[in-house]
Amino acid sequence: MLLVVAFVLPSSLSLRGKSAVRGIVAPAERGTSGFGQRLSEATSAIRGMGGAVEKSRELSHELVRIQAELNKLSDVENENLRLRRALEFRQQQPRPMIPCDVVSRNISGWWSSVRIGKGRVDGIRKNHAVISPDGLVGKTIEVSKRTAEVLLLCDPACRVSARIEGANIFGLVRGGGVNFQGHPVARMDFIDKDTKVQAGDEVVTSGLSGEGGVSPKGVHIGYIVKVHLDDSGLFQYAEIAPSATVSLLDYVFVVSETTEEVAP
Amino acid sequence: MMKRAIMLGGIFIGGLVQLFLPSWSAFGGAKPPVLAAFVLYYALRLSWRDMWIAVFWAALLHDGLDLGPFGPALLAFPILGILAYRIRSEIFVDGTVTHMIFGALGAMMATFAALLIYAVSGQRPFHLGYALLRLVGSGLLGMVTLPLVSLTMNMLEAVLPKRRGYGWQ
Repeated sequence: MLLVVAFVLPSSLSLRGKSAVRGIVAPAERGTSGFGQRLSEATSAIRGMGGAVEKSRELSHELVRIQAELNKLSDVENENLRLRRALEFRQQQPRPMIPCDVVSRNISGWWSSVRIGKGRVDGIRKNHAVISPDGLVGKTIEVSKRTAEVLLLCDPACRVSARIEGANIFGLVRGGGVNFQGHPVARMDFIDKDTKVQAGDEVVTSGLSGEGGVSPKGVHIGYIVKVHLDDSGLFQYAEIAPSATVSLLDYVFVVSETTEEVAP
Repeated sequence: MMKRAIMLGGIFIGGLVQLFLPSWSAFGGAKPPVLAAFVLYYALRLSWRDMWIAVFWAALLHDGLDLGPFGPALLAFPILGILAYRIRSEIFVDGTVTHMIFGALGAMMATFAALLIYAVSGQRPFHLGYALLRLVGSGLLGMVTLPLVSLTMNMLEAVLPKRRGYGWQ
C-alpha cells in the first residue's frame, strides 16, 4: 500500500517529502562534513609528527612540535591557495556565482551526484550549471530549501550541449559513469562525421541550455581521448576525459541567473 | 522507549555513515549497505511493530536522500524485514555466519529491487554485466557490513544503562 502511494506520488509532492528529509539531515551532514575536514587536517598533522618521531633519535621534542606546527601551517597554506584560486576564478567570471561547499555524496551509489550546502533560499534553482576552477562539474537537479543535489558530468543522465574549442563543431556531452580505476568518463555524441576531430582537442560548453537552465558559454569540460564513428555511420562520437572531479571537501560554484552578486 | 530512541538514532547515524562512505567502482559503484544492515539487525531482534518502525525510517532516509522518486528502499526494506522476521526463530540470530549470509542476501535483494525499478522506469542505463557486477559487489559489501553493524550495536547497547528491574514490576 505504502509502495503504491510512493510510486504514484506527483513529483512536486515527492520533492517536498525529500526536501523534508534533507532538511532534517542537513545540519548533521554539515556537522559531519566539518568534522571530516578537521579530522583530515589532524591526520596530516599527526602524520607529520610520526615522520618526525622517526628522526627523533637525533632531534629534540621541540623539533617535533615545530614540524607538526609547520605541517599545520602547510595545510593552512594549501587551503589558502585553494580558496585564493577559487576567489580569482569567481572574480574572472562574467556571471554571478554562488560559492557552495560539498557536504555529502549520493547515498546509494546509483547516481554520480553530490549534495551542496546551499539551496532555494540561497538563490539556487534547478538545471543551473555547477563549475569549479577546473571546469564544468555538472548541474543542479533537485533543489530543496537549504541543500541541492548536483548531478555530476560523468552521470549517464547528465547531458550538456558542447563544442570543440576554436572550431565550429558542436555535439552533446553525456556521462559514461566511472571506470574501474574510479576515474569519471564522458562522451561527446552527434559530432558531424565530415569534421576533423582528434585526440587532445578541448571540449567546452556551447552555452545552449534546455529546460530553463543556466549554462555559461565556453566553460572547459575536458579533452578528447579517442574518436569513433557511431553505429549509424552518420555521426562521430568522442571519448572525453572530464577535467573537474569533485571530492567531499571541495568548493564548487553554481552559476546564478540573477544579475546581483550573491554573498559567499 | 529508550530502545526505540536508540534504534531511530542508530539508523540516522547509519544513514550519515552510508552518505559519507565512498562507492566502490570495482563493485559497480556499490556502497556498503549500512541502512539495509540496520533493517536486518532490528528485524532479527525486535517486535513486529518496532521492526516496521525501523523499516519505514530507514527506507524514508534512504529514498529521501537519494535522487529520483521514492521507491527502491520502500520496496526492498519491507521485504527484507518481513523475511528476516519470519525465519528468525529457525536460525541462530547472533551468529556471525548468519549475519554474513543475511547481509549478503539482504544487500543483493536491495540492489535487485533498485535495478528492477531503475530498469523499468528507464532512469538508469541497464547493462547485464554491470548489473551482475553490482549485485555481486553489493553482496560482498553486505557480507561485511551486517556483522560490523551488529557488533557495533551490541557493544553500544551493552554499555548503555539498563532500567533496573524489581521483579514485581
